[in-house]
Amino acid sequence: MSNAGGSGGGSGRAGESRLRYPSNGKTIYHRPLNRTKTAELSKAAFAYLFAEMVSYAQRRVTGIQELEKRLNLQGHPIGLKLLDLLLFREPPRSQLRPLNIIALLHFIKINVWTHLFGRQADRLEKSSNPETPDEFMIIDNEPLVNAYISVPKEMSQLNCAAFAAGIIEGVCDGAGFPARVTAHTVGDTSGSNGSGGTGGAADGEMWPGRTVFLVKFQPEVLEREALIGAKS
Amino acid sequence: MSYYFAIIGTQDNPLFEYDFGTSKQGGDGMARFTEQARQLNQFIIHSSLDIVEEVQWTNGQMYLKLIDRFFTSYISCFLTASNIKFLLLHQPPTTTSSSSSAGLPPSSSSSALTSSSTSTLVQPSHSSSSSVLPSLSTLTGGSNASTTTLGGATRTSTSIAANPTSPQTEEAIRNFFAEVYENYVKAIMSPFYKTNMEIRSPVFRARVAAAGRKYL
Amino acid sequence: MTVFSLVIINKAGGLIYNRTFHEGGLNKLSTNDYLVLAGTFHGVHAITARLNPVKSAPERPLSNTPGVPGGILTRPEPPSGLEVLESENFRLQCFNTLTGVKFLLFTDTTQTNVDVIIRRIYELYSDYVMKNPFYQLEMPIRCDMFDRKLLSHIREINNR
Repeated sequence: MSNAGGSGGGSGRAGESRLRYPSNGKTIYHRPLNRTKTAELSKAAFAYLFAEMVSYAQRRVTGIQELEKRLNLQGHPIGLKLLDLLLFREPPRSQLRPLNIIALLHFIKINVWTHLFGRQADRLEKSSNPETPDEFMIIDNEPLVNAYISVPKEMSQLNCAAFAAGIIEGVCDGAGFPARVTAHTVGDTSGSNGSGGTGGAADGEMWPGRTVFLVKFQPEVLEREALIGAKS
Repeated sequence: MSYYFAIIGTQDNPLFEYDFGTSKQGGDGMARFTEQARQLNQFIIHSSLDIVEEVQWTNGQMYLKLIDRFFTSYISCFLTASNIKFLLLHQPPTTTSSSSSAGLPPSSSSSALTSSSTSTLVQPSHSSSSSVLPSLSTLTGGSNASTTTLGGATRTSTSIAANPTSPQTEEAIRNFFAEVYENYVKAIMSPFYKTNMEIRSPVFRARVAAAGRKYL
Repeated sequence: MTVFSLVIINKAGGLIYNRTFHEGGLNKLSTNDYLVLAGTFHGVHAITARLNPVKSAPERPLSNTPGVPGGILTRPEPPSGLEVLESENFRLQCFNTLTGVKFLLFTDTTQTNVDVIIRRIYELYSDYVMKNPFYQLEMPIRCDMFDRKLLSHIREINNR
């Protein structure tokens, strides 16, 4: 513990001189964290940036799985940071840490999605399969990250929303719900997961890019969930 | 009144620490910990992490208020969404020890006792801190001496300094934590910052110091 | 009023996209013929761009009076070469982007607002082709999303 910075009044003796400040003297600490609701970014700018991120991740990868893993890793720290930022922006009354899976997923579906993509996620589902109670699904009919992306035929397994999955994973991990999140395209194969109750085929026609984010929590999360549920 | 503030990461690793004294009632903002107490503080903070983990799943609030007590050291906690712990150890001046101990609700002291006993069962690290226990008497004696030399200013203090369990103290610490939290969020917004990395920014340190001066 | 087909030629004269929207308007060509067509058109276009006399005309002080006879000074862009080619049964409109990509749109002779249609196609191209991380510049366009958006856009026009 002793190496965590200087103690008391002698603050950062060594670091101070080497640090360069912006020319106007305003560091990140001088800027407000709150934003007006209408502050939006250019979708085209994001599209170009994301296209470069995908090409970057694609360099020297051996397979689609590895590519998705890399995209996931790019999103992970964003999720970790967003969790704190978005909770900070909440009004003080509702500044509550998510304590159970449902609260967490609602936070992702509503707050995280609205912040990132300007709208809520389309659906939230729990796995209907009794053997996998640890699986939850967040469904987005047309993920913004995939807006301009056509995946070549030979890579049809790939879904670049793995990046968004990484963000979700970051939020879950940060909140103390370690999970594995993967993105799956279900647009063309009608209801491959057998989960969507409402006629997957017709929906698939309408939303060819529909993506399911499969959130698989670690066993200890469910164990704790059961314990907390029993206590309260 | 002396304070020791620490930010603890998700792996129970320290990210930031800072000690300071009160600036209210003419305090000079310097911590009055003895050299021994400085080292002990880290153990006390570390042992209270167990209690944070007990509380954190029953209470969704970020500010968990006073969670632990070790003799005259009181520990308040603030837990961010990503499970980063802000822990503030505050130690009222011991010159008025008789009055402050009388002002304590008996329940809090008993809870502190039970919690410390459970943590000895759970965590071996606490046993190390309790092995330091014999030296505590000398320690409080030392701090006693230091505060008496400080003069009448702290002796007459009635508000947050002397009374660590009062609602005023709770509110002051809440404000302190809120300001630190804002700056912490700004710190992690840096693209070069990764979770559980030590926070080295001198600006952050200055901001924490300013918050301490403002509220405590 | 029908849009028959679209051909996209890259800046080196290679065919990168070719799609027929309406059967029966034009005779089918083999892939090889399309490649030849693209190359030939590219060459002809280059020659026509050099034939154009506008560029040699120096900037005159008159330029602040728009709409002089002949409309020479009102043209803001440098000589563009062949733009429209019309025959008895079809009309070919060429749109040359700043980066040298050419869009050739074959329509029947009565089609109106071709420049609007072609601009919209350019927009789709810059969205769904250029923003796609899997597209390599100058290579044939194989993007599902572009195909889909293009087809629905043209279908809308052809069914009007």
